[in-house]
Amino acid sequence: MKLIQRDGESFLFHISKREKGLLFEVLKLYPLIPIAHHRVSQTAAALGVTETQKLLESALADRTRENKRQLLAMLNQETRLQEPDGAHRLTLSGPQMEWLLQVLNDIRVGSWLILGEPDEKKGKPIELNDENARYYAAMEFCGLFQMTLLDAFQQSS
Amino acid sequence: MAETVEPVVLPDIEKEEQTGAQSELEPGYLVICWDDPVNLMDYVTHVFQVVFGWPKPKAEFHMLQVHNQGKSVLTRESMERAEHYVHQLHSYSLHATMERDA
Repeated sequence: MKLIQRDGESFLFHISKREKGLLFEVLKLYPLIPIAHHRVSQTAAALGVTETQKLLESALADRTRENKRQLLAMLNQETRLQEPDGAHRLTLSGPQMEWLLQVLNDIRVGSWLILGEPDEKKGKPIELNDENARYYAAMEFCGLFQMTLLDAFQQSS
Repeated sequence: MAETVEPVVLPDIEKEEQTGAQSELEPGYLVICWDDPVNLMDYVTHVFQVVFGWPKPKAEFHMLQVHNQGKSVLTRESMERAEHYVHQLHSYSLHATMERDA
């Protein structure tokens, strides 16, 4: 997947059939991060911001529902993927790129959580098995797609 | 934080411009981003640019502080503003919290 043209706020990507299939399969995993994973403070009780935590979780739940709705619309909207001369084209606006980055990172971080939060710096390697291997793949693929989007932003700035 | 870029030049730390009356800023809350091994360095830099409107050098400085020191204090705000920023950072799945300034 690579950026082939930017026209104003519109980004046009070339994406191979295989990449398209991979991207759509990965996106079907959304959402992976449990709402309660995000903590507003490390000392929430002491700070008296329990109410803030509730509000945060409510807002994140709303956002996740909206993201899921948009995601389903995108996956079902084949017109977004034109195929002139057999090539697949994916057109995204700036805000859509930003949204896709968030969705991909939810899947990346959520996969990492499912994998047991591996951390090589702390001597905690990934322990793969038949059940979690697909999440390792999803984490890596999300990273690749994220870098493509970030490179596109970089090229256009 | 997953490594993707190397530092080039570290900028001076800029003092945050405070607006509004002092009473609106108290009690002060620090918005802190914590290190994790999964978020890409370029991604974290991008998020800081988008959420805070920072230029890339300042965003990279704070990203590297998170990576090298385990955390970075991103800004000091009123409770309401701190909540807003933490919410924004969480929507990008970054590990961020707000802590009361001692």
